Amino acid sequence: MNIIETNDLCKQYGNALRVAHLNLDVPEGSVYGFLGPNGAGKSTTLKMILGLVHPTAGDIRVLGKKMDGGNRLAVLRQVGSLIESPSYYGHLTGEENLRIVQTLRGVPEKNIREVLQIVRLDGQRGKKVAHYSLGMKQRLGLAVALLGYPKLLILDEPTNGLDPAGIQEMRELICSLPERFGMTVVVSSHLLSEIDQTADHVAIIREGELVFQDTLEALHGRSRHHLALRTTNNTVAQAILQEKSVPCQEEEGYLILPILSDELAAQLTRLLGARNLGVIRLEERQKSLEDIFLELTGKAASL
Amino acid sequence: MKLLKLEFFKCRRRKILLVCAVVLAAELLWIVTTFLRQDAEDLRQGWMLLLYNLAMVDAIIMPISVATLASRNCELEHKGVTLKLLETMAAPGALYAAKLAWGALVLAALLLARGALFMGVGILWRFPGEVPLGQFALFTLISWTVSMMAYALQQGLSLRFANQAVALVCGIAGSFLGILSLLFPPALTRCVPWGYYGILSLVGMNWDPDTRFTWFYWEWPEPMDVVLLFLWAVVFLVVGRALFVRKEV
Repeated sequence: MNIIETNDLCKQYGNALRVAHLNLDVPEGSVYGFLGPNGAGKSTTLKMILGLVHPTAGDIRVLGKKMDGGNRLAVLRQVGSLIESPSYYGHLTGEENLRIVQTLRGVPEKNIREVLQIVRLDGQRGKKVAHYSLGMKQRLGLAVALLGYPKLLILDEPTNGLDPAGIQEMRELICSLPERFGMTVVVSSHLLSEIDQTADHVAIIREGELVFQDTLEALHGRSRHHLALRTTNNTVAQAILQEKSVPCQEEEGYLILPILSDELAAQLTRLLGARNLGVIRLEERQKSLEDIFLELTGKAASL
Repeated sequence: MKLLKLEFFKCRRRKILLVCAVVLAAELLWIVTTFLRQDAEDLRQGWMLLLYNLAMVDAIIMPISVATLASRNCELEHKGVTLKLLETMAAPGALYAAKLAWGALVLAALLLARGALFMGVGILWRFPGEVPLGQFALFTLISWTVSMMAYALQQGLSLRFANQAVALVCGIAGSFLGILSLLFPPALTRCVPWGYYGILSLVGMNWDPDTRFTWFYWEWPEPMDVVLLFLWAVVFLVVGRALFVRKEV
């Protein structure tokens, strides 16, 4: 079952279509990575799912229910969220901030202590949030999202502002949530490595359009093996390869060949040597996830 | 009710009591200074003189005070970018109403305390005659109603603009126009929302240029002025609420 489904979801600002005909399917129990360069429309999409931004067209189903004005808040009782940056009252303590959410959600008071322990802020609960570091505020934001132990957790760039240790901790926490609490987690990021290490399903968005949606495994499956050959004279080598009906093309000083059998590779190197060409490099390469991301989004893997 | 309680909870350490105390102190200082310059003859109409002056002082002090209170309550939502969290748990209209109710209760408490304070001043000053409890109650109600009209405007501005300077400048302009508008032609005075503190005063004043004698008399607010006041309040409320509810966070 899909916990979130969007159908032909669009958002237009002025003449610009920021989210274009988006069809997302988030499977229940998954960690769903929502990946795209900055400004691709990730936050706008997540805000539309939460009803904070009104879609120009299309519809959204969350937990099997169509999101509209009438049932939005009832559905969102089972959804926790952290959008863009943590929301907090700086003049109140961490515990007081959580008390506000606990009152609004109508969840037991003991949840406050529990979530503070989960995000390791229990030692700082009496401190004013204005005096928290950025990382602590981010963890408080996560505690707020977790407070009602929701079925669905939507986290928009949750590692922003965290130090490397904090990022690692956040990743581990996100990965553990489906198993520990039966949650489905939607986590957005512009960092491919982030999603690669946390998600099991991936959607990639580019300029508001969905360009990939499947399992992480399927994304990895797109990476192709190939051989890269560098000789003392690539032009002559290319002619020789074509003589032998081996397809190749030159890229950045290398001849890119398909994977060859060991026997054929040995035969070719011998032939190149016999024609007085020196083989400088012969490497087996795999297209990286970054290359695939670049292909799909037309931008660098981390922007 | 839950949202209203949370408004009070959120305003912890926001120095709301201090703001109210400063408002009362400013009004007290103004009135006491005025009365110290009056002679015994003037003080024969002490209660009327007090309520007359209070209406004028309100026109100057309340617009900026109302703007400050609304700003203290609304600014915290901008500072912590909390609306995108709150609106996943409560309807924007309900949040707006809770904030308005918070303002109504704080202003009611402030103006009731103000009423008690100045009744005390009158008694200590030994104004002749009984304490006009009815007039004090009605005056407090009028002050509260005019303040709520101004609060609806200020809340709309404070929630609309993250930069609270916009709302506070409006409050300062209100304080200036509130008193100045009483010198305008009557039709124009009614076009200035803050002018209703003076328009709805329960005490009228007459001044005889020959004898140079001033005397005061009780008067009832004109029903049309009350209607106009409510119209202003409805406009500010409807526009402010609509802008808040429609705003995407």
